[in-house]
Amino acid sequence: MADVYLDGAAWGYQQRARRLMLAVVLVFAGLLLRLAHLQLVEGDSLKAASERNFVRDVVLPADRGTIYDRHGRVLAVNRPSFDLYVTPAQVRDLDALVAGVREVLELDELEAIHLRERIEEPRGMWRYQPIRVERDIDRALVSRVEALRARADGLSVQVEFKREYPYGELGAHLLGYLGRPRAEELKDTERRYTKDSMVGRFGLEKRYEQILAGHNGLERYVVDVRGARQDGGWARHAMEQDNRIIPPERGHDLWLTIDIEVQRLLVEALARHESGAAVVLDPNDGTVLGLVSKPGFDPNEWSSGLSSEVWQQIQENPFNPMLDKSVHAYFPGSVYKVVTAMAGLEEGVLDADEEIDSPGRYEYGNHVFHCHKRGGHGKVNLFEAMAASADVYFYKLGERMGIDTLAVYGERFGFGTRTGLGINGESAGVVPTRAHHEAHGGYQAGLALSTAIGQGDVRTTPVQMALAYGALANGGTVWTPRVVESIRRPDGQVVSTFEPVAQRTLGVDTDHIALVDKALERAVNDDKLATGHLAALPYGTVAGKTGTAQVRRIQRDSMRQSVKRFRDRDHAWFAAFAPYESPRLVVVVFLEHGGSGGKDAAPIARQILEAYHQRIEPIFQTTAAVDRDRLPERGAGRGGRASRQR
Amino acid sequence: MKGILANVGRIDWALVGLVVLLSAVSVLNLQSTSRATGSEVYLSQLYWMLLGLGVMAGVAVVNYRDLQRYAPVFYGGVIIALVLVLIFGREINGSRRWIDLGFVGFQPSELAKIAIILSLASWFQKETRPGGYGFKDLLPVAAMLGAPMLLILQEPDLGHTLMLLFIAGSMLAFERFEKRTMLIVVVSAIVLAPIAWRFVLRDYQKDRILTLVDSEADILGAGWHARQARVAVGSGGLLGKGHGEGTQVAGGFLPENHTDFVFANLAEEHGFVGGALVLVIYLGIVLVALRSAVRARDKFGGHVAVGVAALIFWHVVMNMGMVLNVLPVTGVTLPLLSYGGTSVLTVMAAMGLLLNINLRRTVF
Repeated sequence: MADVYLDGAAWGYQQRARRLMLAVVLVFAGLLLRLAHLQLVEGDSLKAASERNFVRDVVLPADRGTIYDRHGRVLAVNRPSFDLYVTPAQVRDLDALVAGVREVLELDELEAIHLRERIEEPRGMWRYQPIRVERDIDRALVSRVEALRARADGLSVQVEFKREYPYGELGAHLLGYLGRPRAEELKDTERRYTKDSMVGRFGLEKRYEQILAGHNGLERYVVDVRGARQDGGWARHAMEQDNRIIPPERGHDLWLTIDIEVQRLLVEALARHESGAAVVLDPNDGTVLGLVSKPGFDPNEWSSGLSSEVWQQIQENPFNPMLDKSVHAYFPGSVYKVVTAMAGLEEGVLDADEEIDSPGRYEYGNHVFHCHKRGGHGKVNLFEAMAASADVYFYKLGERMGIDTLAVYGERFGFGTRTGLGINGESAGVVPTRAHHEAHGGYQAGLALSTAIGQGDVRTTPVQMALAYGALANGGTVWTPRVVESIRRPDGQVVSTFEPVAQRTLGVDTDHIALVDKALERAVNDDKLATGHLAALPYGTVAGKTGTAQVRRIQRDSMRQSVKRFRDRDHAWFAAFAPYESPRLVVVVFLEHGGSGGKDAAPIARQILEAYHQRIEPIFQTTAAVDRDRLPERGAGRGGRASRQR
Repeated sequence: MKGILANVGRIDWALVGLVVLLSAVSVLNLQSTSRATGSEVYLSQLYWMLLGLGVMAGVAVVNYRDLQRYAPVFYGGVIIALVLVLIFGREINGSRRWIDLGFVGFQPSELAKIAIILSLASWFQKETRPGGYGFKDLLPVAAMLGAPMLLILQEPDLGHTLMLLFIAGSMLAFERFEKRTMLIVVVSAIVLAPIAWRFVLRDYQKDRILTLVDSEADILGAGWHARQARVAVGSGGLLGKGHGEGTQVAGGFLPENHTDFVFANLAEEHGFVGGALVLVIYLGIVLVALRSAVRARDKFGGHVAVGVAALIFWHVVMNMGMVLNVLPVTGVTLPLLSYGGTSVLTVMAAMGLLLNINLRRTVF
C-alpha cells in the first residue's frame, strides 16, 4: 500500500500540499491585515467606543431661574416632577411589578397588558434601557411608588424639573414657553443640554435662555454593562481622569418691569375680541408695564409637551394664537397721522391754525381719494382735522411733502426699525419710500397721499406705536422698550440692572410736539368732532388717536364664512397717553380686523386707563393745576406744554 | 520500548514547542478573564492542558495500524454519542450539545471531527483511483459525512456542522478528481446554498449573517457580540491595555469571553503584538501539519495530517473571522485558547495524531 502513495502519486501530493500551504499563508495574512486594520487604523475610534461603554456621564440638571414681575410675584418657576421608569433587565417578578404599578397608577386592564408588553418586548442589551412608564406622577403617589420599589425590582423614579406658569395665559407670549432642545443645541458642550432638557422656545424664556438656564452639571463614573456603578478593581484604572463631579449651576432670576395685574387688566379689556394686542408702557423711560397678544395660550401646556388635541386646536385656530401680535406689523391707519402732522409742521408746509378745505373726496391724478366721512369736514385747522380725522386734510399734506419726506419723519418716530424688545421675531414694519414701492410693484405719486393717512404700504407694530406716542408724551425721546428690570441671583443679589436706554429722539421743535399733543387731546375731548371721544374720562385728560385701517386681502374660497367676514373687517387702533398734562402712561390697543378705532378700540383704551388708575395706581390728580405745580420739570417738552396751557 | 526510544529523534519538537507555548498563552489569558469575572476557569484549563498533553503523548505512541483498524469503531461510537446527546443532552441556550457525565460535560461533536478525519483517511487508503476519483466515489464519502452533519445540525450547532464539511472538503482537495466531478460539486454547491438559507438556517443564524453585512445594525441586539468583540480588539491598539487591564471583559461588555470570544480579550490586553504572535503560532501548527502530510508513509497518514491541518485552520479562520467581524457569529472555538475540556482534549488528540504520523514518517 505504501508503494502506491510513494511511487505513483507522490509528486502530485507534494504539489497539492504546497498549494494548500500557500492558501493557508494567504488566508492567515488576510487575518493579520484585518487585525492590523482594527487595531492600528480603527484603534483610536474603537478605543473611544470602549470608553463609551464604561464611562457614564450623568448630567445633573441645573435649576432654571425664576421669572418675577415688578412686585416680586412669581411668573415662571421650576418644580420637581417625578417620572416612573422600569428597567426590563432588572425585573425579577414581572407579574408582581405589573400588578403593583397597575394598582398605584390605577391602570385599566388594557393599559396593564400594554405595560407588560412594553417590558417584555426589548431584546438583548435593549433590556438595560429604562422605559418610562409614567411622566410627572402625582406627588401623593411618590411615596406609594417608593414602597412598591422595595418589593418589585426594576422600578425607578427619576426627578426632572417641570416649568410652571402660575398665571397661565396672562403671560403667554411675553414669557413664552420651553421645549426640547434642537440638534445643534445638544452640541453645546458648555451647557450640557440633554435630550431631556427643556430650553426656552418662545418669549422671554427664549430671549434670556443663557441667563435662565444656568449650567447643567456632570457626574462621570465607571459602569458595567448593566449600568451599575463600579468603583473598585478594574474601574480604578479604566478611566484616565478620576471620577469627577461638576456641580450644576443654577440659572439667574429675571425680574421684569411687567406688572402681572396690568397683564390681567389688559386680558380683561380685550376679552370680547378674538385677535389683537395691547401695550401699556411708561412714556418717560420706555418701561413696559403690560404687553398682551390675543388669542393667548397656556404656556403650561406647551412646556409639558402639547397633547395632540391641543396642538390640533392651535393649528386650526384662524386667529393664529402663536403669533405675538404686539410685535407684528399691521397697517396703522389714522394713528399714523401724527407723523404726517409733525412732518408738515417741521417742514414748514403747515401752520397749525391754517384752515384747509377738507371735503369728502379728493381727486388726484386719475384717482379719487375718499374721506371716511362722506360729507367731508369743510375748512379745518390741525386740531379740528386731527379731532375729526379728516382724511383729505392729510392727503393734501402728503401731496405737499411727498412720500420720501413723510418717510424721514416716520423713521424718526422709530417706525421701520425693530424697537429692540428682542422677542418673538419682532417685526421692523415698513416705512414706505419711493424706492420701496419701486421695488414692490411700482410707485405712483398717489401713494404719498395714502401714506399720509397710514395706508399705502405703511406697517407698524403695536409696540412701535406705543413708543412713538411715548415720544410725543415725553417731549421727544423714543425709548427702547424695557421689559427686564434686573437679573438677580436666587439670594436676591443683583447681577445686572437694565437702565432705560433712549433709542432715538424725534429731533423736532418742542413747540411742534406740543401742537401735535394738543391735537391729540382734541381728538379725544373735542365736544363736536372727537373721533376718540369714547376714550375720554371724566376725571382726567386723555390724549389719543383712533385708527381704522382698511385691509385689502386676497380672498380664498376655501375660507370659512365666519373667517372670511373677519378677514374683511378693518383693523382698529387706538393710541393714547394720559394724563395729558403730565403723561404717566401710554396705552396702545390694536384689534386685528376689530372694526373701528373710535367705536371699538377707544373704549378699550379707556377701560384700561380706568382700571389702571383704580386698581394699580392713581395716575389722574383731582385738578391739572395742582399737578403742574407739584411735579418737577421732567424735560424740554414740559416747558413747551406749560406755556401752551396758559 | 526499544522502538519508541529509537524514534525519539523523530519527535516533531517544533510541533510540541508550539503546542506548549499556545497552552501557556491560553492559561495566562484565561487567568486574566477569570480574574475579571471571578471564576477560576484558568485552573480547570490548566488541568485539561496537562491531561491533554498526556492524551497527545498517548495518541502519538498508539500503533499506527490500529488507528486505521479501529477507525470505523470510533466512527460508530461517535454516531451513537451524537444520537444520545439529542436525547439526553443538557439544553443550554436552546441547543443540546453536551452530555452530562456528572463530573464533566462531554461534547460529542468535538470527537466527530476526529472520527471523520480517521474514517475518510482510511477510506482513501483503501479505495485508490490512480486516474482520479469519480462522482460515484463521492457517494459513500457523502454518506459518511452526512450522518454526523445531520445529527449535529439537530442540536443545533451550525458551527460544528460546517466544520465537518470544511474538514472533509479540505481532505478531498488533497486528492485528485475527474474534472466532470469537480464541476458537478461546484454547481450543486451553488444551487444548494439558497436552499440551505431558506430551509436549514434558523432566524437567529440568519440575523448573525445579516448583521455582518451591516455592522451597525441592531448593535444592542443581534449585533452586540460582534460589535463588542470589534471594540475589544480595536481598543487594544499596538501594545494593548496590559495584562488584566482589559475593560471589555471586566465590565461585562464582551460575552462568551473565555470561550468563543477569548481572542478578543487577548487582543485587547496585548494589542497587535500579542494577537499577531498567536496568529503566527497557529500558522506554524498548520504548516507543520501539512509538512507531515507530505512526509507520511502512506495515504492514510497523509490524509490524517491534512485533516488535522484543516481542523486547526478552519477553527482559527472561523473563530478569528468572527471576532474580527469578517465572518458571521458561529459558536466555533479557538483551538486550545478557548476554555473547554472536550475541545482541549480533541485538539491535543489531533496533535498526537500528527506526532504519530511523524514518528512513522518516510525518511528521504
